[in-house]
Amino acid sequence: NQASLQRPEIKLESLKEDIKEFFKISGWEKKLQNAVYSELSVFPLPSHPAAPPEHLKEPLVYMRKAQGSWEKRILKSLNSMCTELSIPLARKRPVGEQKELLNKWNEMGTDEPDLSLFRPVYAPKDFLEVLINLRNPNYENGDSLSFRTHLGLIQVPLKVKDIPELKECFAELGLNTGQLGIDDSTQVPPELFENEHVRIGQKVLAEQDSAAAQQYVRQGSPTALRAELWALILNISSQPEDILYYEQLKTNVIQHDLLVDSLIYKDVKLTASNDDYYFVFEDYLYQVLLCFSRDTSVLSHFAYNSASPPKSYIRGKLGLEEYAVFYPPNGVIPFHGFSMYVAPLCFLYHEPYKLYQIFREMYVRFFFRLHSISSHPSGIVSLCLLFETLLQTYLPQLFYHLREIGAQPLRISFKWMVRAFSGYLATDQLLLLWDRILGYNSLEILAVLAAAVFAFRAVNLMEVTSLAAAEAVLADLSTLKVMPLLQIFLFATVT
Amino acid sequence: MSRVSVPCHVKGTVALQVGDVRTSQGRPGVLVIDVTFPSVAPFELQEIMFKNYYTAFLSIRVRQHTSTHAPTKWVTCLRDYCLMPDPHSEEGAQEYVSLFKHQSPSVTFPKWLSHPVPCEQPALLCEGLPDPSRVSSEVQQMWALTEMIRASHTSARIGRFDVDGCYDLNLLSYT
Repeated sequence: NQASLQRPEIKLESLKEDIKEFFKISGWEKKLQNAVYSELSVFPLPSHPAAPPEHLKEPLVYMRKAQGSWEKRILKSLNSMCTELSIPLARKRPVGEQKELLNKWNEMGTDEPDLSLFRPVYAPKDFLEVLINLRNPNYENGDSLSFRTHLGLIQVPLKVKDIPELKECFAELGLNTGQLGIDDSTQVPPELFENEHVRIGQKVLAEQDSAAAQQYVRQGSPTALRAELWALILNISSQPEDILYYEQLKTNVIQHDLLVDSLIYKDVKLTASNDDYYFVFEDYLYQVLLCFSRDTSVLSHFAYNSASPPKSYIRGKLGLEEYAVFYPPNGVIPFHGFSMYVAPLCFLYHEPYKLYQIFREMYVRFFFRLHSISSHPSGIVSLCLLFETLLQTYLPQLFYHLREIGAQPLRISFKWMVRAFSGYLATDQLLLLWDRILGYNSLEILAVLAAAVFAFRAVNLMEVTSLAAAEAVLADLSTLKVMPLLQIFLFATVT
Repeated sequence: MSRVSVPCHVKGTVALQVGDVRTSQGRPGVLVIDVTFPSVAPFELQEIMFKNYYTAFLSIRVRQHTSTHAPTKWVTCLRDYCLMPDPHSEEGAQEYVSLFKHQSPSVTFPKWLSHPVPCEQPALLCEGLPDPSRVSSEVQQMWALTEMIRASHTSARIGRFDVDGCYDLNLLSYT
């Protein structure tokens, strides 16, 4: 401020250097670096000046159209639920109800509302059908089976990596690099890798360096350091204003009841509450997801998401732009299984506002790509194609056999990838997997793991003769160790 | 230096094919687009901008009028410029592309089409004290920037999703 500039020790000629020095000493330099690094990780590269906003969301026109049609279906579904059940999209809670909700804020799980009439807006398998029907109008594929037709379910020609490219990309998962999830097992003496790795992790945290943290977790994060490391990578530091912001969202939940709240309740009851690992966190899930729906700051991620937030108008003001609003306020309509994106994080963060911030950042960086139609390399369409291509190329016999018996592999693995394997793997394994998602800033590892799982159970799968039997072989992934599977598939399979 | 769009007429594509177009089964791999400039006055072409639609490689040839007597000459100024690194996949298929005059070595607009623009000399740093008027204008700029940021924060309704306290909604709209 101007008063400071008038102090005698501030010299004009050294102002620039003095400010730089101040940044360094006060720790602000690191904070700025982390913030810039964070922005670079999230936002797409600057594009051509003539490119319109929709091009930034999704460059391919046919994908944008497909996403638009899919969204329209979801909106219609939600609208019919609204009219059929005669429940408004949103209503202000009467004061008595507000008080009641405030009192049981920490135990919303004890509530047993009648949710029988509500149905999820869609399930992953509905979404898969849409992806299967995606076509590039400029792609000459022919209707009959030919060498140009894709053997799998995905028929769009997106570029996906092959194993040599994946090996380069995921170099730190190689056989000669220490990994948590492999080299920390009980048989391995901790002096060989684990102790040193933990020491380095502590140093990274002391330095508060986001980029270093991201590089570090490629080899896995020690359990004791994971919460802090992820927060550092996601550039989350809970300031008083963040806590206040969360409290404001909570107030919004208390004041307004939304139809999507019932969808959230239903989803939590159907998925997380039934899960042995996650049912204890049921209350946390409501506290996060109900607030998430009211968070308008999430709207900014639609600049780079191919999806768009649903729109509505204040009752009686249809068509008047000054009365146009987004619904829900954050623009995200939850689907069946959505709460599983939050559940694993409950193991790491115990203050609701912290858990909330971490989940929100994970969503706007990664999870949104798993349920929107785009050509992005980490988008679900690319992941599906990557999975199918890996399987076809490196396990052709298995792929052909499964096709022949009517068990297209993607029909089984799709649900794993859409949920980022949450609810399918044991939690410690899931967290090791999500370490790598953060470390590589990519979801491609999900497709690689899916293929690795099929490779692991190939012998059993070759013997089945129906889709149901194939599903049974792959029904239980809770005993799998993800890092050995990934390592063997990428680095130790004869190609 | 201000830049303006040059009015041009883009003709429809013509396929280059060997043999009879009607009976041939194969799809042409090469299409030609003619671009003509109706204005007669000479201009300095700086940039060619377009949106790609599944073209893998681009070549540009220009027809040169040197004088009223000499016959016109075709000059290649861009050959097989790659727009799609993998033509069988979507990468680059629908991207916006700009080709600049100074892009080298693959882009060389012939001399008559452009004059090389003299490079601006970087401002020499003065020895000793900085120019106070320059410093004060920079500080002023920084100040104006912080004021702008502060102003834009207050104008945005942070966190509000309702309209004047009301969030009583109709059904969802299809745009």
